[in-house]
Parts: sequence; structure tokens; C-alpha cells
Amino acid sequence: MTELVTERPIVAPVLSHRPWWRGKPVQVALVAAGMWIAYRALRLEYPWPASLTWTSLQFKLDEFQVWLIEQRSADDKSVVFTIFDGFRIFVDELVARFAELLFWLTWVGTTAAGTLLVWRFGGLRAAILTLAAFATFALSGLWRESMETLALMLAAVSLSLLVGIPLGIAVGRSRRVERFVRPLLDSAQIVPAFAYLMPVVILFSVGPAAAVVATVIYAIPPAVRITALGIRGVPVNTVEAATSMGTTTRQILTKVQLPLARRMILLGVNQTILFALSMVVIGGLIGGGGLGAVVNSGLFTTPSLAILAGFVIVVMAITLDRVTEAIAERTDPAKQHLDAAGRRRLRRQSLAAGVAIAGTVLAAKLLGVSSSYPETAGVQERTVTLQAWLLERIQSVLDYIQDPTSWVFSITEPTATFILQKLLLPLQEFLVEGPWFTTLLGLTLIAYIVSGLRPAITTFVMLGAIGITGVWALAMDTLSQVLVATLIAVVIGVGLGIAASESRTVSRAMRPINDVLQTLPQLVYIIPFIYLMPVSIVPGIVAAVLYAFPVVVRLVERGINDVAPEAVEAAGAFGATRRQVLAKVKVPLAGDAIMLGVNQGIIMVLAVVVIGGLVGSGGLGYEVAQGLVRGYFGQGVIASFAILALGITLDRVTQGTRAKRKEGLG
Amino acid sequence: MSDRLSRRRMRLAGLALVVLASLVAAAGALGGGARSAAPACDDVVLNENSWVGSTANVYVIKNVLETKLKCKVKVLNITEGQPSFQAMADGKIDVVLEDWQNFPGTPYEKNKSIVNLGGNGITGVIGWYIPRYLLQQYPQFRTWRGLKGKESVFKSPESGSQGMFLGGDPSYVQKDKALIKGLGLNLKHVVAGAEPAQVARWSQLYKQKKPVLFYWYDPQYLNAQYDLVQVQLPKRFAGCQDDEKKGGDPKKYACAYPSYRLDKLVSSDFLKSGSPALKVIRNFKWTSADQNFVANLISGKKMPKDKAAAQWVKAHAKTVNTWVK
Repeated sequence: MTELVTERPIVAPVLSHRPWWRGKPVQVALVAAGMWIAYRALRLEYPWPASLTWTSLQFKLDEFQVWLIEQRSADDKSVVFTIFDGFRIFVDELVARFAELLFWLTWVGTTAAGTLLVWRFGGLRAAILTLAAFATFALSGLWRESMETLALMLAAVSLSLLVGIPLGIAVGRSRRVERFVRPLLDSAQIVPAFAYLMPVVILFSVGPAAAVVATVIYAIPPAVRITALGIRGVPVNTVEAATSMGTTTRQILTKVQLPLARRMILLGVNQTILFALSMVVIGGLIGGGGLGAVVNSGLFTTPSLAILAGFVIVVMAITLDRVTEAIAERTDPAKQHLDAAGRRRLRRQSLAAGVAIAGTVLAAKLLGVSSSYPETAGVQERTVTLQAWLLERIQSVLDYIQDPTSWVFSITEPTATFILQKLLLPLQEFLVEGPWFTTLLGLTLIAYIVSGLRPAITTFVMLGAIGITGVWALAMDTLSQVLVATLIAVVIGVGLGIAASESRTVSRAMRPINDVLQTLPQLVYIIPFIYLMPVSIVPGIVAAVLYAFPVVVRLVERGINDVAPEAVEAAGAFGATRRQVLAKVKVPLAGDAIMLGVNQGIIMVLAVVVIGGLVGSGGLGYEVAQGLVRGYFGQGVIASFAILALGITLDRVTQGTRAKRKEGLG
Repeated sequence: MSDRLSRRRMRLAGLALVVLASLVAAAGALGGGARSAAPACDDVVLNENSWVGSTANVYVIKNVLETKLKCKVKVLNITEGQPSFQAMADGKIDVVLEDWQNFPGTPYEKNKSIVNLGGNGITGVIGWYIPRYLLQQYPQFRTWRGLKGKESVFKSPESGSQGMFLGGDPSYVQKDKALIKGLGLNLKHVVAGAEPAQVARWSQLYKQKKPVLFYWYDPQYLNAQYDLVQVQLPKRFAGCQDDEKKGGDPKKYACAYPSYRLDKLVSSDFLKSGSPALKVIRNFKWTSADQNFVANLISGKKMPKDKAAAQWVKAHAKTVNTWVK
């Protein structure tokens, strides 16, 4: 899903000719060895000093929260809070209207309208997919919830696009705007949504509006970024040609840049929808309702229902993805080549679809069809959904998994214990219990070696801030989990990525897996692992790996496929075997793509590790979770900022050299 | 050209007709459910919290309000504590039926946007629990003193040489880290995360008859399914503390958890509205056995929530009548 950064042009790398002992890995290893010696010698003696901690910060933040609450519930609200409240009421109404419309159409009418509209604009295949999705909503017995979620998504996506596309155009046309907006976008994507729930609730209360706001914050960045990329991707000479013909700036935008950026903007819409859908469950925590609420409450009472609702979300996401893709493709003016007759034909098709929708709705209304798909029908009240049957199946799988004598368990439990005892705990102790100054300097030095001076300064400042706000140990705990999960995700991802680049079958098999793993709410696939790997930190790690590795696979696959064919042919001409070509030419030349995979993977891992706080990962995620649910505002906000700081650091360190090299080459 | 066009048009119209006809036919076959008649009492919004006990409260009250008073009841799932209080202050939620003493001391109490209607009849107990089978080998585990020196019995992969203490759901009231320090026990506080994760962890150890020591509470429907005993902690003394976040000397925390009166809260707007439902909320009182019965139907027997509540209400007409009167 995180397609964005990959669109940056990948610069052809040059293989270095330095001897191996002067290479970066060796230097990093040397620094790590130094840190390790310090850790052995001075273990536990130098935790982050209290004199360097701002202890009253938490208290101050708590006071601020009390002030906010008083302002919110005061009888004579200040202007700012009146505006916030007005906005909240507006969004609540918007969602309610969308939902009312979907229910007013009746379930038959909604199905007909959705399917026929998609048929008209996206073609038959997309229409069949849409019909299948509506059937899933109905048969799973979650029609009402699905429609509520759809209404929420309609509101969130339209608001995101309303803000995101104009902003993206501005960013694409002006470097200055970009410099200002980019850090904001970075933060919005790096901070796990979990972290901004609390401020959102305080400002917007709970309910659809709060869920929409949280979703919009998360879904705007792809809209902005991809739109900007599209505008900037318009060839300079085209713009120059237009300018030389005397077109105004405005005309350049509307007649040249926007039409040429059309494909990218529509890709942005597609990504915005998917990002928004991935927030359904988190939105459910603050009153978003719909499928998100089913997942959240089901998690505690009936996990099988939570899993079922999770899969309905996946169906909705995949359908929306394919449908928007199909619509973007079919309505592309560059491909349609419409003549007058063609235009007339299209107009007739629209008319036919419109008449059919109106007819169906009218007929459904006359027949008294219910607003949402019923659970039972007829005089004998026969059940017409598959919900009970599906739940039984899912439950039996869960029952099997929960049985500690099954053979699955005898594989998963030792694996979990191994990951914990051989990877996580040693690394965690090393980072948490080593002297704070060697850890701080060592990590800064590693950042310098890997990426250069500026990322190193960022690292130093960010880690320093984490220490000063008093969450050093917690942040190091989270960092150790992120590093372990990223390592596993990258190993799996690079392996499968190479396999996918060499074999079409693997590549094709990866796409549905990728879609499911990226759209299934993380909380849902944590469920089986809390039974299978009952060692507190590991389920979160596994979920993080599952979430992140498909992206690594895709980036590595694309990187290898993009290796210049001349290089491959040349190697072949020298008589290199396929294996040699892969190991000596393709993989080294795809180094940047692999690094990009690490960069994307690490940010995704961080997002899930934080959610892992809900299933025992501890660290900063637990602090946020506890802060949110117990109303410890200060604690939650500090931990959220530490996560942001960690995210920025990891992001800069893993993308540093690539950016620099690109600048060097112009 | 026009021939091809009209054929296309025919085909399209034909397909549209087929879709339309089949949908209408399906609608006819399934029959339309008419909307229910207008309720006698206005909408009431109840909040369901994450634990099943709360679900039991909410659905029993929902059943009573719907069947006896013809109210229109809506159930929301807003997280316990701050988020749910904010929702009440904003008029999104009318009633919380089980607050574990989160409410006292909040700004909402001070500005009177939420009003406490007193206990729901149940006393909440929080403490340290172990499976009963452990007592056969270690009878001394009945009290915390017996744990001293024997902590390594509770060793786990993540606790190293120490014993593992399995902490509770992050949203629940707890002070175990300070308690462990204050009592000088060689235990490592391991967070299992949300309640389902914690239950998964200890119930699997239980099924394997392995030792486990964990944060737990009552009323809880699982207590009927698993035979657990409480480890006695030191008696409460004057000035003993429960809010771990306040910090300070861990010795001050070295006492058992208090018992919690589970309170019913309503928003002041709802109180002023004079809704007939208010009477039922005021009178609502039952026992932990009642609550566990309903919770077990829902979570243990996987019965739909409304059905489980209806079953209890039917069997306890007398109790329910005292609420409605």
C-alpha cells in the first residue's frame, strides 16, 4: 500500500571498489563492538540520569488536559472551541447523511446502484466484483455495519481529497511549500494513529467526527504526495513549450499539468481510500462504529466475530482498490479516443444505468424492502445469512489453535521462545542496560556511517529528546523490538523478493497475500498468535513482520526487475550462469531498492509494534495504550512524541545515503 | 455503425433488466421487514465496555428498557475512563452501568456534567491469583509471604531467572509493579496486553498444569470455568496507596487492592431529561452471580448478546419488576 516513496527515481548505483575491510558494515560492526565492551564493563551503572530529565513535563501536560476539558465543556466556549464544535457537528451530520442515504435506498437499491455505477464507469469485471462484495456484506450478516463503515469512508475520503489534492498541487508547483509541508506529512505517516487518538478525542469528542478526523490525518499524506509527484512528473520541456506560447500560469495548471498528472492523481485517490480503510478498526475505538466497533468489541467477547468482520473489511478494501483502478483505466481520455458516436453511446449507457437504478430503488420501495439485509426471512423466519455457520468454522479453528497439545503449538511455541531469548532479550538488555552515553553516541555514530552528517545530527537530537522527556528505557525497549522485527521482515522479504523476480508464479501468488496482509486490521491477525506464541512480546513482532514483509518483497522484486538489461546481457555473454547473474549482478545493482525496502519496512514495523502494546509488547506502545484508556494524557502524549522521534530517526538513517547520492548526481 | 450501436444498447438494456429483475425477485423472496412503531420513550444510549461483565449489564438493561418501557436503545463501545466520560459530557452516551471508581476526581465530577447514581450491587475485587492445583505442591502460596524465596517457580522465557508476574489489561486499575517492589519479591512484571491476550497466556499455562501468578479480578465469568485462588496480600493500612502513577516509596503501596463499588453513571443532560428509563437505571441492582451467568452465556456459550439477556430477564421476572416499579 505504501507506494509513495517508491516513485522517486532510483538512481543507477555505482558498485564501490573499496576493499571490504573499509566498507560500511565493518565500520558499523566496530562501533557496535565498542558499545558492547562498554555494556559489559558498565552494565546497569549508568541509566539515563535524573538530572537530565524533565520530570514535571508529564504533570504539566496533565494540567493542560484538564484545561482543555474545562474549555470544551464550558457554557460560554471560546471562539476556537466553538469552531471545533461546529466542525464536529458538521462531520457528524455528513456521516449520518451518507448512512441515511445508503439505508434509504434499501439494501437492494444500494446493491443495484453500486453495481451499475461501477459497471458504467469501470466495466463488467469490476461490476461483478462489486456485486460479490455486496453479497459478502449481506451473507456475513454484517450489512448494517458495512454500510456504516462505507458512509464513514465516504466522508473521510472526500474530506481527505478535498484538502489533499489542492495541497498536493501546491506542493508540486512550489519547492517552498514542499519544504514546509513535507515534515508534517512525514510525521503524520510515522506517528502510529494510535498516538493521536487522545488529542483527537479531547478536541472532537468521540463519535463519527473523531474517527473521520483520525482517518483524515492518516489518509491525507498519500493524496498530497502522489498528486505532487504527478505534477512534478510533467516533463519540463512541455511546460516550457506551453509557456513560450504565452499561456498563463493558471492555464498551464489546468490545461497542461493537471491533465498530464491525471493518472497519478487517480492513483493518489486509490491510495487514500486504502489508507482510510486501514483506519476503520482504530476509528472504532473512538466511536467510529460500523465494522471497526465489531472488531473491537468482538475481540473481547467473540474473537471469531472480530475475525469475520476483519475479513469483511478486507473484501471492502480489495474491492474499492480494484474498482478505482478499473475506473481510472477506463475513463482515461488518452485511451478512449472518443468520437461523436462514442460519446453518444456513453451517454446512452449512463442513461440506461440511471434508469435501471431508479427503477430498482422504486420497485424495492414499493415492495417494502428493508433498509438493511435481514437476518431472517419469510413466515418461518428462515435464516438467510451465513453468519452462524461462518462463526462456527472460525471458532473451531481458534479452538484448535488454543489447544496447547496440538502439533502446531509444538512448533510455534519453541520458535517464539527462540526469538525472545536469542534475539529480543539480549538486544533489549544491550540497549536498555548499557551506559546511556555510549548508547547515544554509538547510535549517532552508526547513523553517521550509514547516512552522513545530517541524519547523524537528527539521530542525536531525537534520542536526546527522548531521554530528556524521561522515556529512554521504554524507547530502547521499543527500538530493540523494531530492529528484530525489521531484521526478520527484511530477511523474508529479500528472499521472497528475489524468488518473485525470478519466477512469475511466486510473483503472482504474492499479490493476494500482499493485499490481505496489508488491509486486514493488524489487531485481527494478532489474535491467532496470542494463542500460538504465548510469549508476551512475540505476537506483536510476528504481526509487524507480517505487515511489513510484503512491501519489502515488492520493492526488491521491482528493484531487481529494473536492473538494466544491458548489464544482465553482458554478464550472460561472459558465460555467467543464471545464479551468478542473480548473485553478482542483479542483487548488487538492486541495492538501492533493497535499502528502500528496509526504509519502508522499518516504518511499518514501528506502527505495528506500537499496536502490539495491546497484546503485551510493552515499551512505548503500552504507555500510549494505557495513557489512552486510563486518561493519563501526559504519559500518552510523551510516549507518542517518543514514537515520532524514533520514527523520524529510523526513517532518516535508512534513507540518508540514497538522498545524498541523488543530490550529488543532480 | 448504428446497427452495432443499437445491438450494444439492446444488450446493455437486457443485462440491466436481468439484474433489476433478479434483485427485485430476491427482495420479494426475502420479504421486507417493516420498521417498528415509534417508541414511547426517547433514545437511550448505553456504553458497553471491553469486559464481558459490562456487556451483561448493558444487554440486560437494554432488554428491560425495550420490552417493558418500549424505549429505543442504542449501544456504543467507547473505551473506559476518559474517552467515555468525554462522550457523556458531550451527550453522546447517556449511561455507564459499571465504573470501577475511575470517575471520582475527574474534571467531569467537578463540573457536574456526569452524575453518580451509586452502586450496581456488585463489589469488584482485584488481586493476585494462582490456579488452585498449585496449592497441592506449594500450600504456602496462599499468602504473599509464601512466595518469598519461591519466585523462580513462576519462571518463564521472558523473566530470566526471576519469576513472572503476569500484569493486567492496560486499561484496568493496577499497582503491581510498586507492590512487587514494596514487598521485596524477586518477580518480573510482564505485561500481557489486553485482556484476551492475558487470558490466552494464563489459561494455556493452566491447561498444561504449569505454575502461573497473575493480576485478575472478580466478578468474571471465567472464574466459574477455571479454579483460581487469590494470594493474600498484606492488609490495607492507613495511608496505603493505590495509584502507581503518583510514585514515591513502594512500601506505601504494599497492601491489598481496595474493594470497588461498581457505580452507575449518567450524564447530567440525561438526568434532566426525565426519561422514563432513568427509573430503571436508578433501581438497577443485581449480584455478581447474576452477571457471571449472563456473561458466561455470551462469552462461554457464544450465545447472541440479546438472547442471553432475554433468557436471564425471563427467569428473573421478580427482580426485574423491582427495577421497573
